[in-house]
Amino acid sequence: MSQTSFTSVFIAVFLGTALVVVSLVLNENRPSADVDRPSASLVKATGKCAECHRRETSSVVHQYEMSQHSAKNVTCLDCHKPSKGQLKLDHKGFEIAKQLTSKNCAGCHKTEYDQFLRSRHAAPSWAAVAGDVDFTVEQIAFAEKYHKGTIKRPPNALSLLEGPAAIKSGCMNCHDIGRPNPDGSIGNCTDCHARHSTSIALARQPETCGQCHMGPDHSQLEIYHESKHGVLFNAQKKYFDLTADPKKLSTADMSVPTCSTCHMSGLEGLKVTHDTTERLSWFLFAATSDKRPHYERGQTEMKETCLKCHTKGPVDQFYAEAEAVVHATNAKVNEANQLMAELREEGLLTPEPFDEPIEFLYFDYWHYYGRTAKHGAFMGGADFVQWHGNYELLKVLVDMKEMAAELRKQKASIQGEAP
Amino acid sequence: MSEFGNSQSPLRVWLVEIFAFGNLAFLSVDIYLAHRVNDFAHAAEWIPVYFSATVPLLLIPGILKRRHNDRMSRKFGFVVGVSSILVGLAGLLFHLDGSFFHTQTLKSLVYTAPFAAPLSYTGVGFLLLLNRMEEDGSPAWGPWITFLAMCGFVGNLALSLCDHAQNGFFAKTEWISVISSAFAVSFLIVAIVRQHDHRLHRACVYVMGLQIVVGVLGFVLHATADLHGPSDSIRDNFIYGAPVFAPLLFANLAILGLIGLWETLSYTGSESTEL
Repeated sequence: MSQTSFTSVFIAVFLGTALVVVSLVLNENRPSADVDRPSASLVKATGKCAECHRRETSSVVHQYEMSQHSAKNVTCLDCHKPSKGQLKLDHKGFEIAKQLTSKNCAGCHKTEYDQFLRSRHAAPSWAAVAGDVDFTVEQIAFAEKYHKGTIKRPPNALSLLEGPAAIKSGCMNCHDIGRPNPDGSIGNCTDCHARHSTSIALARQPETCGQCHMGPDHSQLEIYHESKHGVLFNAQKKYFDLTADPKKLSTADMSVPTCSTCHMSGLEGLKVTHDTTERLSWFLFAATSDKRPHYERGQTEMKETCLKCHTKGPVDQFYAEAEAVVHATNAKVNEANQLMAELREEGLLTPEPFDEPIEFLYFDYWHYYGRTAKHGAFMGGADFVQWHGNYELLKVLVDMKEMAAELRKQKASIQGEAP
Repeated sequence: MSEFGNSQSPLRVWLVEIFAFGNLAFLSVDIYLAHRVNDFAHAAEWIPVYFSATVPLLLIPGILKRRHNDRMSRKFGFVVGVSSILVGLAGLLFHLDGSFFHTQTLKSLVYTAPFAAPLSYTGVGFLLLLNRMEEDGSPAWGPWITFLAMCGFVGNLALSLCDHAQNGFFAKTEWISVISSAFAVSFLIVAIVRQHDHRLHRACVYVMGLQIVVGVLGFVLHATADLHGPSDSIRDNFIYGAPVFAPLLFANLAILGLIGLWETLSYTGSESTEL
């Protein structure tokens, strides 16, 4: 009797132990990234979020699955958990941030965020529309250190005239790349990298920069597509690896540059930067362009990029020709400036901006055609230097002079009639 | 052994009727919480909630009269039993739409809808059929009850393994339920195969007692975890956090197992057993 019971108990214990071992083995074979995370919520987020979001907002799951974050087992909660200073939101058993900002990205990508903070994409971008009212004293001081006069400034006069609806749906759709966030951070990274795909390849696409850098006031996208760089890229992009690691990018991955290659990339040993102003040498966006404070360093760094594909002679010649266009454009804009100053001195214009036709013509003169000529020269867009730039500069200045003459004639006739 | 008709149900049969009614009725609350997690995304998710809230009421007259086999109670029992089996099987098919069956990875198995869970209806449905199709006191009744309890513990083993894998067995105590249910399964299997091993059945009684302790402990641990959950809302913590009633399934199934073992023990008496 006792032997029989022992047999039964032995079989039961053996079976039970076998089941436990099978359970342990099964759990052990789960992806380590699922199991070895620092909190239960993070482990849960590796798969739980997708259970609902495959049904509710399925594209974000598919976008995430395409991302490097997914390949490296970054969970939804890694990005969506609240950072210091962010409002929290209870969401289906998880605590997430009410609004994601660059601060969430900076948790892992601090170097990139710090570089971005120094760029004109950061605070100066927002201040160009809204002025300095939304920034803290510390943020203003920081940005002024790198871009003097671009933060401590009033709101954009033209935007104010166009009204809040135009500002919100127009201006700020681009300029919010440098928005001040409630958590104290500035900007968002998703303008260039998108949200759930968090894509390097996307940031390397010319169209990504071209979401904002296009149109008559800064036609970089159009110029790029006209340039030899753009033509080659469009013809050959299927052969390029736009997903290559930025720090290991080589001309084998991308033998033709896009915007990010020249302005940001670590092409063959260069220093990667998210400060898009680092390799610039002129203030091309200004009415009359001056050299940037770090002219020499900026030009040297950009030329180092050029030298990955071109020899020194043509690069130096290209720069000399482009700078000649800058000087020539400056001279033309100075002539227009002089004309406008004289009209104001003669009392032919009111102090208010954008209330007389010649003010719009003058604004188009430097803001459209002057910039286009200079950008065209630095980006290899011959048609933009000539027809969209210099031809218009010539034509509009004639129009402005004629308008000025008309204003003077009207004033003289009014004075003649006066008793 | 009782005859069909007006004779009173034996105590253990009556207890199984109460067990079946309690389980079916309580599933409405449990499933409401489970399906609330995904906001009843599919209209069919309401079916078990309404089913459990209404259909088990048909069992009440028979339970109150303690007559499960009079004409009406027998018919109602069959209706409830068969419909429970169908609801369980339909639930299984609906749950098969989970991500595991699209990607078939261990990870997707963990996060898919628990496709075995609806079979709890099927199990309870079989209990009601068993009470009506197997004569009271027959040698097969006790082992069948034990078998159904064992099937429940198989489900407990699978679900506690998958559910706790969702947070990577972050607390080591989460293994208690897996180990406990593994031994519940193994002991009950041997008890079914070796129906005359009186001493093993006594050992099984202790194993079932342990399941009750584990169930209550799990309830306390889950409730404590939910009370300290990440959400400010206790309601949300209970819906999206640890399933507070799930551990009580251990105690619940242990009671069923004990009824089966009790019947088998009383049938086999103190006779010795042979291999």
